[in-house]
Amino acid sequence: MPAWQIYIVDDDPAAAMITQRGLQTLLGERFSVMVASSPNAAWLACATGNVDLLIVDPNPHGNAAASLVRAVRTFRPAIPVLVLTAYDSPGLRMKMREFSVARYVAKPIDLRELAPIVHAILHAERPLVATVGPSLTALSVSGSSGK
Amino acid sequence: MSELEQLHSHIRDLEERLLVAEAHAAKLVAEAEQQRMRSLELGARLSAILSISAALLISRDVDAIVQLVVQEAMDLFPGTNAVQLFLLDHEGDRLSLRAAAANGECRCGHVLAELAVLSPRAMLLTGPQLETALQCRNAAELGLTCAAQEFCPPSNALLGPLRVESTRMGAIVLYGGPQATLYHPRDLPFVQALADLTAVAIDEVLQRVRATTLQRDLALTQSLHAEAQARLNTAQAQLLQSAKLAAVGELSASVAHEINNPLYAARNSLYLVEQDIAADDPQHAFLAIAQQELGRIARIITRMRDFYRPTKAELAATSVNTLLRETLELVQTHLRHGHIHAIANLDPDVPFTVAHADQLRQVFLNIILNACDAMPHGGDLQVTTQLLQTRPDAPATIGIYIADTGIGVPPEHLPHLFEPFYTSKAQGTGLGLAISAHIVTQHSGRITVESEQGQGATFTILLPVNGD
Repeated sequence: MPAWQIYIVDDDPAAAMITQRGLQTLLGERFSVMVASSPNAAWLACATGNVDLLIVDPNPHGNAAASLVRAVRTFRPAIPVLVLTAYDSPGLRMKMREFSVARYVAKPIDLRELAPIVHAILHAERPLVATVGPSLTALSVSGSSGK
Repeated sequence: MSELEQLHSHIRDLEERLLVAEAHAAKLVAEAEQQRMRSLELGARLSAILSISAALLISRDVDAIVQLVVQEAMDLFPGTNAVQLFLLDHEGDRLSLRAAAANGECRCGHVLAELAVLSPRAMLLTGPQLETALQCRNAAELGLTCAAQEFCPPSNALLGPLRVESTRMGAIVLYGGPQATLYHPRDLPFVQALADLTAVAIDEVLQRVRATTLQRDLALTQSLHAEAQARLNTAQAQLLQSAKLAAVGELSASVAHEINNPLYAARNSLYLVEQDIAADDPQHAFLAIAQQELGRIARIITRMRDFYRPTKAELAATSVNTLLRETLELVQTHLRHGHIHAIANLDPDVPFTVAHADQLRQVFLNIILNACDAMPHGGDLQVTTQLLQTRPDAPATIGIYIADTGIGVPPEHLPHLFEPFYTSKAQGTGLGLAISAHIVTQHSGRITVESEQGQGATFTILLPVNGD
């Protein structure tokens, strides 16, 4: 059983796959790196409490990823969020700071550099006990209920 | 005897008639003399009036006119004790004494002037009329204020209203001496003429002053208008420039963002492949080249994205001369192929300045390549630098002049040369000079172009020398 679960939310399938395959290769068997099929799916995973790190690219063309980041930071503050974005801009950085996302890297970063960052986050902030936030019944991301 | 007596009486009669005739003759002679004197006097007065009118017409100043008039009035009417000239103020309700001649002043003047201003024509006031006129006023006031008792109250006075058409301007008052009746009704036309002349002359001066003021106001308004127009044009040009640059910036930023994902995937795929093949595999060389080239793309993308925010870190003390020399070296082959003869006149006194060397190099390269394009059949390329300093303590400027002998820029292209997407070349993007201008502006400099069609073009870049 892998010790750590990492979820990736990226609407660019190739980039998502490379992140997943790369991190899985570099980090080894103790980590389970998964690509969430949608921001909603990632949110459900976070809400049920088996996510140790969420890697998100908040695509400016849609709101879902950003809403996911906000929801996680609000209702699951114990889950660390790493923003890995191709859309680096002062505006996005500021927005992510508002959501108190401390870790932010811009693509095209080398996996060689990304892996140690992920490693460091998980070792520094691994939640010992999964904290349970407010009721989830009223919550949904981008207006549609998760499947 | 009776005949003798008859003769005697006849003689007496004849003598009496002779006496009468002689008396009559003498009277006629006297009258003739008087008429002659009068005509002489009239002649003198007419010529005086004429000379006054000539003098008034060339006068340019109200004070000069009124002084001249009062002096001439003294001469024109012999026996005059004093002459005063009053003018109404702008509102036309207060009279003020503007000029006086001869023996002091008299407050009666005000009273008489007020009378004169209202009168349609010249007036002669003698003893009783004058007293009546003056009695309209408080006698005590007169007695108190009249300092010159010897000619005040005057025995008679001539009053001339100054008016042009129906506009009242003031009045001229002439005082006779206290002893005898000095003025005669026949003086009235002269007073009238003098007053009219004065009024016309003053009116002309005032009109001229008004015209000058209006003209100055007009010129001022026009220059203000031109200035405002120029400012507006500059602002509009700047707005257009920044709007277009913003569009370029947005476009390049969005392109850069879209490229980041595939770039990230490609680079890291290569990396993962690299991990999987044996360390001595010859394919490593190709993978390294691919990695290197993808790295280059990444740097280009970053530059594209950062077009709008040159980082402070890249600013360093830079020698413009060195940059120009390097750039010329860079295009050496290009110049040789194009039969272009490059002449560099680089002033060794040009100091280092804090600048973004790569960006400036881009500017110089851009302009030099443009110059080459403008000389398809060869020509001269002159690159000159100069330290411009007006005073030793004034901030210095580096002048960079890049001149070619090419086809020149058509005048209709000149105003748009630095606008993004404006190009006259089939292969041009219209961004080279826009980016150059942007870079120069980012360095607080200015870039201008002078060109005459067929005579080549000269680009001038002025960069401030800054040490910080």
